[in-house]
Amino acid sequence: MRLKFDEQLEKLNNELIQMGALCENAIAASAKALLEGDHTLASEVPALSAQIDQKERDIEGMCLKLLLQQQPVARDLRVISAALKMITDMERIGDQSEDIAEIITMANIGATDNVFCIHDMAMATIKMVTDSIDAFVKRDTALAEEVIHYDDVVDEYFDRVKGLLIELLRNPETDGEYALDLLMIAKYFERIGDHATNIAEWVIFSITGARKDEIT
Amino acid sequence: MTNRIFRSICLVATAVLLAALALIMTVLYGYFSDVQKEQLAAETRLAAQGVEQNGRAFFDNLNAGDTRITWIAADGEVLYDNKTDETAMENHAEREEIVEALDVGYGESTRYSTTLTRRQMYTAIRLTDGSVIRLSIAQNTFLTLTLGMLQPMALILLATVILALLLASRLSKRIVEPLNQLDLDDPLKNEGYDEIAPLLRRIDAQQKEIRAQRDELKQRRREFDAVTDGMHEGLVLLGARGNILSINRAAQSLLGADSDCVGKHIYVICRAPALQALISDASAGDRGDRVIAMAGREFSFSISPVPVHGEVVGMVLLIVDVTENVDAEKMRREFTANVSHELKTPLQTISGCAELLANGMVKAEDTPQFAGQIYKEAQRMTALIEDIIRLSHLDEGAEDMNRERLDLYTMAVSAVQSLQSEAESAHVQLSLSGESTMIYGIPQLVSVLINNLCDNAIKYNREGGSVAVSVRTEGDAAVLSVADTGIGIPGEDQDRIFERFYRVDKSRSKKVGGTGLGLSIVKHAAKLHGARISLRSTVGEGTTITVRFPAAN
Repeated sequence: MRLKFDEQLEKLNNELIQMGALCENAIAASAKALLEGDHTLASEVPALSAQIDQKERDIEGMCLKLLLQQQPVARDLRVISAALKMITDMERIGDQSEDIAEIITMANIGATDNVFCIHDMAMATIKMVTDSIDAFVKRDTALAEEVIHYDDVVDEYFDRVKGLLIELLRNPETDGEYALDLLMIAKYFERIGDHATNIAEWVIFSITGARKDEIT
Repeated sequence: MTNRIFRSICLVATAVLLAALALIMTVLYGYFSDVQKEQLAAETRLAAQGVEQNGRAFFDNLNAGDTRITWIAADGEVLYDNKTDETAMENHAEREEIVEALDVGYGESTRYSTTLTRRQMYTAIRLTDGSVIRLSIAQNTFLTLTLGMLQPMALILLATVILALLLASRLSKRIVEPLNQLDLDDPLKNEGYDEIAPLLRRIDAQQKEIRAQRDELKQRRREFDAVTDGMHEGLVLLGARGNILSINRAAQSLLGADSDCVGKHIYVICRAPALQALISDASAGDRGDRVIAMAGREFSFSISPVPVHGEVVGMVLLIVDVTENVDAEKMRREFTANVSHELKTPLQTISGCAELLANGMVKAEDTPQFAGQIYKEAQRMTALIEDIIRLSHLDEGAEDMNRERLDLYTMAVSAVQSLQSEAESAHVQLSLSGESTMIYGIPQLVSVLINNLCDNAIKYNREGGSVAVSVRTEGDAAVLSVADTGIGIPGEDQDRIFERFYRVDKSRSKKVGGTGLGLSIVKHAAKLHGARISLRSTVGEGTTITVRFPAAN
């Protein structure tokens, strides 16, 4: 009985890793499309996002089945409920990567240079997502806490991008749409960073049972 | 254990108790009945005497206790009864003991009294007047006797249970204690009771077997690890569900994992989507391989399912670093494209000039110029093809060329001499300095190397510039350096100038000629001699290329 349960938990774990890898891919593809102006890469993101949605539904079903059939307690219950919360954040990461890719294709943004720090911001966000998934995979609370603190870096980048774009808009010859699109992209990156933070918090919860406000 | 012993003791005690009781009761019951009967007979005789002497008056002050006394007339009519109203009683002439008494003077019977509805013992004696006096007493049945003993029996049983409990716990403790204190690592050294000796011997035998098997497994494991750890390729054995069964050192360092990951799922250490696809294919029974880029290098992941009876029970994952192969492949493709292009350009000029000449569209006085053009381009093609042949020869390792001791300085002298005229026409000062230094090498290649370096230094120089060639010994190295005052090489191109057909300034190459293979040949020739090339260059000021050969000792 317990053996079967363990097997199902391992399967859940693997599915989560796969979903995390898909998220990493989605945001990496969006970022690369933004940095290199590669529109074919951007057009691959919606398919990834659809895969992520499918995974979310699969994992959700799996979790509910586990909760109903096995009635887990203590640590198992934490792991499963954390999984249920994490997939929501992962799904949002997928969606927002898709949104970024959409802006790139719709607004026809070419390869942007790094004047607006947007490269650095994209890289910082990717690092957060990768680290949060790594923290989950390796059950590494230290790394998870690092991700939570790293969110400030991404937030700071957002403020800087915003400031630079405001400067840009003061110039009457500026293409306002371009500036706003970049701002939207920056905002999406910032949101993705927040979701990565959430994932990291759930990782800590599933390991220690402590919620974020209890973490010093 | 305690429970079972307790139950056994209780069972035995109760059984013994009951058996003893049954035996005693059977014996005692007969004895009691006999005593009772005799007593009753004696009492009857006394009563009979009393009635004979006193008649009815005998009954008046009689205290008979439990005993029932009945006086029956000869015809069976009841004359007196001390327990029941005699007038209501039926005729007793038919009663067994009465019949007997009337007949022989004494009668007895034991039966249920219909009057008193219980088991009664009767004795009757016929009086001289023919009437019968009868005494009866309730007989103790088996059951009443037993019931009377219920209380003491219950006490005894309770005592038995308590005793059994105490005994059982002590006994089981005594039995188990030596078992608990057994030294299982060395079973035969224990001093338990004799009964556990066979158990100890079996444990000993099993432990020896287990130890032998464990040692063998360890040995196998060590051999396997030794073999796989020596591999440069990463080897991972996966279970049917993708859990890691074994991972060698190369795979651990490639995937950034440690040996703790054994038993975990492969996704825990690598979640590249391409690998996920490979694993899902392999669990469906398909082999596959893919090139995955990790940490700036290219790795080929090959996976093979391990089927047993058509079911995948495991997978073998082989990871090979193919960065060089991929790079080499890329270089080969680029080389082919470049060669075709470089060959096509002079051919086009040749074919164009030849076409004009053939169609008679060239004036007679221009003919030498066109022919000269054709000759020049044909020379360029020849040079190019010669370089390509030389390069491919070097690629093969130039094994057919013989190495010998040579003087690097002498080689430099002849190279400088042969290039002196070219230098003069380019208005470049070509000078040589240094001392005789012996190296061990292939003369043709060393000469080509010096020639190419000097040739480049002259070609990519400025008017009135200079080329200084020097040969000297530095420690155990023979150093050749060629310094020019030319155009210099920009920093970002310095890494690439030794690549085939790479030109810093594409537009200039036409003017200065050359095949684009010169430095590539230099690089290969130096590599074959174990020499190191270093390059120092500043744009607009010049370039110094230094080649350090290991000196011949």
